[in-house]
Amino acid sequence: MAKGSSPLETMPVSRFARQTRWSLIVLTGAMLAFLYLPIGFLILFSLEDAATPGLPITGLTLHWYQVLASDSAIQNALLTSVEVAVAVTIIASIVGTMVAFPLVRGGVRGAGALRLLFTLPIMIPGFLIGIGLLIFFRQGLHPLVNIQLGLYTVVAGHLVFTIPFVVLIVAARLQGFDRRLEWAAADLGASPWRTLRHIVLPLIAPAILAGALLCVTLSIDEFVITFFLIGPQQTLPLYIYTQIKFGVTPEVNAIATVILVVSLSTVLIGSLLLTGSRRLRHRTSE
Amino acid sequence: MTVESDAGALAPAAGSSSSLARRLGRAAPALPGLGVLVFLFLAPMAIMFVFSFWRTNNDFVAVPDWNLDNYARFFVQGTYLRTFLKTLIMAGLVTATALAIGLPFAYFLVRYTGKLTQRVILLAVIVPFWTSYLVRVYAWQAILGEHGALNQILQAIGLIKVPLDIFNYDDPGVYVVLTYIYFPFALLALYASLEKFDFTQLNAAQDLGARPDQAFRHILLPQIRAGIITACIFVFIPILGEFLTPTLVGGAQSSLIANLVLNFLRNDQFAEGAALAIIIAAFVTAIMIVFRKSFRVEDVVTSG
Repeated sequence: MAKGSSPLETMPVSRFARQTRWSLIVLTGAMLAFLYLPIGFLILFSLEDAATPGLPITGLTLHWYQVLASDSAIQNALLTSVEVAVAVTIIASIVGTMVAFPLVRGGVRGAGALRLLFTLPIMIPGFLIGIGLLIFFRQGLHPLVNIQLGLYTVVAGHLVFTIPFVVLIVAARLQGFDRRLEWAAADLGASPWRTLRHIVLPLIAPAILAGALLCVTLSIDEFVITFFLIGPQQTLPLYIYTQIKFGVTPEVNAIATVILVVSLSTVLIGSLLLTGSRRLRHRTSE
Repeated sequence: MTVESDAGALAPAAGSSSSLARRLGRAAPALPGLGVLVFLFLAPMAIMFVFSFWRTNNDFVAVPDWNLDNYARFFVQGTYLRTFLKTLIMAGLVTATALAIGLPFAYFLVRYTGKLTQRVILLAVIVPFWTSYLVRVYAWQAILGEHGALNQILQAIGLIKVPLDIFNYDDPGVYVVLTYIYFPFALLALYASLEKFDFTQLNAAQDLGARPDQAFRHILLPQIRAGIITACIFVFIPILGEFLTPTLVGGAQSSLIANLVLNFLRNDQFAEGAALAIIIAAFVTAIMIVFRKSFRVEDVVTSG
């Protein structure tokens, strides 16, 4: 926005301008506080030395984090989560990026239907995806093959909603892509494959990476779909869920805090990447 | 590869390139993804639909004994209809709250803060919503639980003697937590549409003699309609599939409709569960079809 055309300056000054401004500030502040309140208490209670967390705080300790570090059940669960996330991320990033091309560049009959199909799994509650697949695996496919619930079924479930996220993010990036760069490469004699490899992919790489990071966090954090499709193994959220069912302990608070911090930072990095890629798009489209 | 065929299509003489092979070539990269969704999303939904008309036999296998009993149960036995209505009311209340707070919040961001502050505050709101849903619901136990902060503080200042349990193990707690979980969706959608609005139009309207409320109703509201609808959908729909929040911060009496589906599945009554799930799915689909024109997923998804 150009200097001097700030909406504030052109706005007619109402008698209530000051009150309006302050009430908006208070509302926004209160809502932010509301959003961070539980996170704050979670962290606080993870540092508390009493075995049953709660106020008043009797003392602070890092003891529960040490307990975490030596808890093999948690480590196994984490490992399982990571295995699933890696498989999901690799498949979803590749498959999702491929879908984005025909979706954006058109020339495909039914692109609208395709777009709708790839937004549905984001909108449909994970609950429905989960039980749909559960019934599908347990009974629907039963006459044909006997599928045991396990990590493969979890990966399958995660793919359903991660692929659409990659498609949307990469498609948004492709939308602003300057096709003239490709034409120039073709004019200069580059084969289509070379153009893809050296022009297109490097330019959309930040979006693919952001999509992949999102897949990692979405998959590692996914609870609902995993809840229905998991076999005897446990992913981290499932492990936490069973712990919560047994009762709230400071150790659960500690692991929850670790998860929050890790996924917060991953998302932050992904978000910065996307911003970076947007800035790049502005530069290339000028 | 798309890029291949596309690069060809760019040549000026490529107007005749719409042969079937070319079309297929262009669509080819979408096939693996399409395959995944058809096999793992559409097929399960279709099977669930079929099963909803079947019967679960004594060996807990769904058998093709076509009937409408599973649906009839929904309307005849009061529990299901009541819980469904309650879920709709809960979703409606949370949506209304998210809008009532989200609209002034987004308005404040767009009109009163600089670009940098906007980004920071938006990020602060968005970031937690990409992090573990389970952990965020769980975190509320620290506040709303029997020994949680709220009860402890209220007791400490002498307002109450015994721990309250309306927030724990009851609907108000579920309402608070759902608002917490889904507010960021609403804010993102509202922000995306308010940001595009040219506020000088409001001044123009007022210059032409409109009262502020008239300017708001006739100029601003129609232009951010899509954002408001998107916000509503992004809050309302997921709540129809909520079972974790009632389980963790609610109690037996605060079950939502998804909890009832879960009960069927626990007992391996797949046909009965499928019918209830299909009713939810039909509702979700209807909402999306009715509002498909003014509904933008991208605004919410890609701004994170």
